[in-house]
Amino acid sequence: MKKLFSKKEKRIVKEGFWENNPVSFHVLGICSALAVTVKVETAMVMCAALIFVVSLSNVIISSIRTFIPNKIRIIVQLCIISTLVVVADQVLKAFVYDVSKQLSIFVGLIITNCIVMGRAEAFAMTNPPWRSFLDGLGNGLGYSLFLISVAICRELLGNGTLLGFQVIPQVFYEMGYMNAGIMLIAPGAFFLLGVMVWIQRAITGYTEE
Amino acid sequence: MQRQSDAYTLLFAVIICVICSFTVTLCAEGLRSRQEQNVSLDKKKNILKAAHVQSQSWQNMPPAELLDFFDQKIGVVVLNPKGDFVNGIKPEDIKDGEQLYPLYVYKEQGAIMAYCLPIQGKGLWSTLKGYLAIDADAKTIRGITFYAHKETPGLGAEIEKEWFQNNFTGKSIWDDKEQVLRPPKLVKAVVKKRMKPQDEPYYVDSITGATMTSQGVSDVLDKELNKYEPFLKKVRK
Repeated sequence: MKKLFSKKEKRIVKEGFWENNPVSFHVLGICSALAVTVKVETAMVMCAALIFVVSLSNVIISSIRTFIPNKIRIIVQLCIISTLVVVADQVLKAFVYDVSKQLSIFVGLIITNCIVMGRAEAFAMTNPPWRSFLDGLGNGLGYSLFLISVAICRELLGNGTLLGFQVIPQVFYEMGYMNAGIMLIAPGAFFLLGVMVWIQRAITGYTEE
Repeated sequence: MQRQSDAYTLLFAVIICVICSFTVTLCAEGLRSRQEQNVSLDKKKNILKAAHVQSQSWQNMPPAELLDFFDQKIGVVVLNPKGDFVNGIKPEDIKDGEQLYPLYVYKEQGAIMAYCLPIQGKGLWSTLKGYLAIDADAKTIRGITFYAHKETPGLGAEIEKEWFQNNFTGKSIWDDKEQVLRPPKLVKAVVKKRMKPQDEPYYVDSITGATMTSQGVSDVLDKELNKYEPFLKKVRK
């Protein structure tokens, strides 16, 4: 057990989650970060789907990495990723139909999410399966960190609710408080995401050279 | 076999393809019955939503209870093109291209509250499917829903949002002398500001940036209401 979680392994998870965060550091996965973050519930399901796809695709690709012919490696990766995405989509349709309807095409678009392909090509092709799994997990969690933070702000400010429950008391509305409609449309997500990337980069001290 | 040879590459590609397609098929087939249940439940929910069923309690019901509730409130009949009832046929049995139209009748304690008709037609990217509910006097629209479409999220996909659907409530389907069918048309927003009060019942705000989808919705209404015109004329009060 200790061997499975040595310093190096913890480091891999932490890198994806924080220092090398796919959203703030690489600015990947922005499309879905804007699209599915109006409600916390949809964002959470999207994150679960992405974590599932990115960690499993990393494991599978890493386990067969020595057998993959170099000439067709990208298409092999894509094949495995799409299979996992279709599986995730089918499971969502069977078990959480309402949420899957709201996510519409965005689950399918995980296939083209650069985080997944990026991790497969940059990490899983050169590292053993367990570490690749952790790398996928870390990156998936890093993506979720941003998606869910943005979703919490948007739902709270735009709708006054969290996970569908009214959070801002009725008294506030009677006193003249109004939901910020801009939070429900894409520009609101852009501003929030920008501010969050800024904060995250300020903490980690990262600058573009 | 050499790792870099073409034969190996080809073999590897074939194996990957077979494994992947097998996985996808297994998953799709294994989950199909559950998904079909979800779809049929979702259609029923949409009928209840379009018909503006008085009690809102169905929204949080577990599936089995919801089916009971649906059967209590909604009666299902099938019409022929002349607007007469056809006995012994269920909506599921209607074959493609057959000139039979299903109709869902919402009743509250024996009194008819609304007629709900399935609507279907081309949007921009794919077929729009939904339900249109008409008040018991067969004159005004009570509600509309769309449960299946593949329109652009944020633009055409707004047809499934409440703000868009609420615009239809109270719109008229007959011309002012109530002689000829006149389904509402989607026009540039905002109808309330641009139209004279007497014209308002015939126009609905379309979606800015989704002209083709809006046009599709107009056409769908026109096509579907025409199918049901003989029946609607009969029940009109």
